Amino acid sequence: MQRLIANLRFARALVVTNLRASLALRASFWLQAAFMAGNNFAFFTMWWILFARFKTLGSWRVDDMLTLFGVVAPGFGLAVALAGGARTLARGIVDGELDPLLVQPKSPLLHWAGSASAASGWGDLASGIGMLWLAGRLDWANAPFIALAIAASAVAFAASSLAFQSLAFWLGDVEQLALQLRDFTLNFALYPQPLFGGAIQLLLYTLLPAAAVGFLPVAVVRAPSVWTCAGALAGAVAWGAVAVGIFALGLRRYESGSRFGARG
Amino acid sequence: MTAQRLGRVTAKYLAFARAAGRRARAQRWSLLGRTVFIGIVLFVFSRIWAAIGPRDGLPGIGPRDLIWYLALTEWPVLSVPQAFLAIEADVRSGDVAVRLVRPVAYVGAHLAEAAGETATRLVFVGSSAFTFAYFIAGGLPADPRGLLLALPLVLLACVLLLLSVTAIGVTSFWVVDSMPFFWIWQKLMFVLGGLLFPLELYPEWLQRVARATPFPYMCWGPGSMAFGFAPGRALVNAAGGLAWAAALAAGLVALSRGARARLSVNGG
Amino acid sequence: MDLAIELDSLRKVFRVSERTQGLAGALRGLFAPRMRDVVAVDGVSFAIAPGERVAFVGPNGAGKSTTLKVLSGILRPTSGRVRVAGLEPGRDRGALGYRIGAVFGQRSQLWLHLPALDTFDLLARVYELEPAEYRARRDELVRAFDIAEVAQKPVRQLSLGERMRCELAASLLHRPEILFLDEPTIGLDVVAKATIRDLVRERCLRDGCTVLLTSHDTGDMERVCERVLVIHRGRLLLDRPVDALRKSFIPRKRISVVSEEAELSFDLPGVVQLPSAPHRTELEVDLRAIGVDRVVSRIVASARVLDLSVEDPPMEEIVTAIYAGAAPAEATG
Repeated sequence: MQRLIANLRFARALVVTNLRASLALRASFWLQAAFMAGNNFAFFTMWWILFARFKTLGSWRVDDMLTLFGVVAPGFGLAVALAGGARTLARGIVDGELDPLLVQPKSPLLHWAGSASAASGWGDLASGIGMLWLAGRLDWANAPFIALAIAASAVAFAASSLAFQSLAFWLGDVEQLALQLRDFTLNFALYPQPLFGGAIQLLLYTLLPAAAVGFLPVAVVRAPSVWTCAGALAGAVAWGAVAVGIFALGLRRYESGSRFGARG
Repeated sequence: MTAQRLGRVTAKYLAFARAAGRRARAQRWSLLGRTVFIGIVLFVFSRIWAAIGPRDGLPGIGPRDLIWYLALTEWPVLSVPQAFLAIEADVRSGDVAVRLVRPVAYVGAHLAEAAGETATRLVFVGSSAFTFAYFIAGGLPADPRGLLLALPLVLLACVLLLLSVTAIGVTSFWVVDSMPFFWIWQKLMFVLGGLLFPLELYPEWLQRVARATPFPYMCWGPGSMAFGFAPGRALVNAAGGLAWAAALAAGLVALSRGARARLSVNGG
Repeated sequence: MDLAIELDSLRKVFRVSERTQGLAGALRGLFAPRMRDVVAVDGVSFAIAPGERVAFVGPNGAGKSTTLKVLSGILRPTSGRVRVAGLEPGRDRGALGYRIGAVFGQRSQLWLHLPALDTFDLLARVYELEPAEYRARRDELVRAFDIAEVAQKPVRQLSLGERMRCELAASLLHRPEILFLDEPTIGLDVVAKATIRDLVRERCLRDGCTVLLTSHDTGDMERVCERVLVIHRGRLLLDRPVDALRKSFIPRKRISVVSEEAELSFDLPGVVQLPSAPHRTELEVDLRAIGVDRVVSRIVASARVLDLSVEDPPMEEIVTAIYAGAAPAEATG
């Protein structure tokens, strides 16, 4: 129990330090956040045009699309704003920059993940909230469900990013591959799920966390219930476990020294 | 400029382009990612058009044509690298001061490198695009001759895209971090250029706005060749695209000179 | 008394995939890679008592970094017994983390865009320090390292020397029993090097912590440590006190004389006269042949001496000699 409290305190201190560092570059912070919000709204106009022309896509209307964006964008944004270190984990593993963290008595995975922040993530969060408002979903009754959905999406995004990057323990510099996978995930998550049939759905549920970052959390907001909440939580927890597991396995391998051309 | 000098300059830029082509081949994952991505996006949109169903408003344009449209618009967009990153990196590292003694040459060198990378990617992305489009759309477009007309327009689109991303890179002399500009420019290009679906689907007023910008020539220009064999339209597009290319090139030159001035004011 | 560090026949072998040639090679490398064993550390043993300051010296690829990583728990040994602060680093890395500190010369643990103080606050949470205790310790270190102003500026604005002082302070916040320093003075100018060396020595004397320092710079070795471990090709070549190293290995001393006479000459066995300037004479004395005191008395007796100094040869020479496998010589004097 004491261990848990100490870890929570550490996590909080990490987040605070991360945010302070991010805010230290004030001009860049605002530029990134504002332009990303603009970017997301601009991107959404394509869907708006499509729906203005065709009114429905399968069973989806523009509100549903807004809701989808309104959950996935903040999820992604929180993940890169709070766990921005995921972006460079592969590089850190390959270059040995993880070593100083391995000597400290706290989780190196958590520490590394929380050591960088992309200010653009706040723009994602803000634009997502804005889209939820446009969709008419923003009210006090919905607030806890929205919070849960976004949190689940964020955890799934961060965890899957970390899992992909952790493949560096076996494959060397997988930064490009991991970022591609992350972008694919984001892309898939932003398409309405009814578009996809069986095999693709299976892919999305297992290999790519598009379901855990998109479909499952969005269901919580569209149809709040015990089941949808459980589903979103399950997705987040599952990917969290995958990330921790892969990293732990990779770390064991790292410790035995069998890395890419490792030398004394 | 003497013929000999021209020859040397050309050789220098060719060398850059060749080296960049090699580098692009070396970035295997990124290439693979783009080739897979185009398959994904074509697939998803085939589902979207299927879900929308036969109700339409686009005379003579069916779902099959729309898939080919998308393949043709995505082809140049996915082939042009994020060239601004290289310039941004130079600015950050600080040793750009030395190289910027001749600003147009410096920017020109970056442009040549990016062009080299583009050339390699055009091959990979193009093969992938055509293969996916063929199978997903279930065959060639109604009048396949349009595809031939699309080829020069795709190249023209690449030129416009290259000029744009290079210009974005040059802005990093002022703002260091040019990525946010890239986002906005890219989204404008997506929307006003008609990346995902043709401008004909847009509300009237938006179509007018879009056609006043260079963006349609980056996407819709080559894409619309999927709708049929229309050499007249192709020619008009080419002319408009070339005019914009000249304007963008002039803008890039001015921007490069401005960067030099900025650097001498602020120091290295 | 318990030992701080205990190493018994440490062996660390890496399995490295062989470099492939061409496309066929690359494909084979993907499915059935050819591996070979690289022995980085080959049966190294030593023991370090609490409070000792030990230098770990060797050329690149000698195995020092590997040994350090095994000791700090980053790598697991292939075989051999390792105990650090009584714990087994491979198994108890979490617990060990509270008791050891590390400074990696080329990797910073300070957040670049924030003042060092912010990193200190984070580290207080990493090591679960009591707030009052942490603050007192932090202030003590800030005073001792003279970084009161420096620690308030963003780290990226600091000079390398200032940054190193902050790194060092950061690594000592939790009062580690053992401090690992990996190339701590690399890239620093002469003054900064001296400052860091003095700080390490004084602080560790005061706190009673054990120091294990790896370095290419023999100055680090001389100024900070009392004992030297020389490692080469994965084997421990030497384990001596720093002074003894000099005496054992190059039994020579250099004498510089400044005299009123423009030129001096000495004819003594074991004394070699080096090229000198007017009024300045440089002599190299072979301690095996003659004692320094006799040479000095002869100089003083036969010249009007304005200044005289007796110096050891530079440590570089000594270390080079060790790598070359020079056998230790008997020394007199």
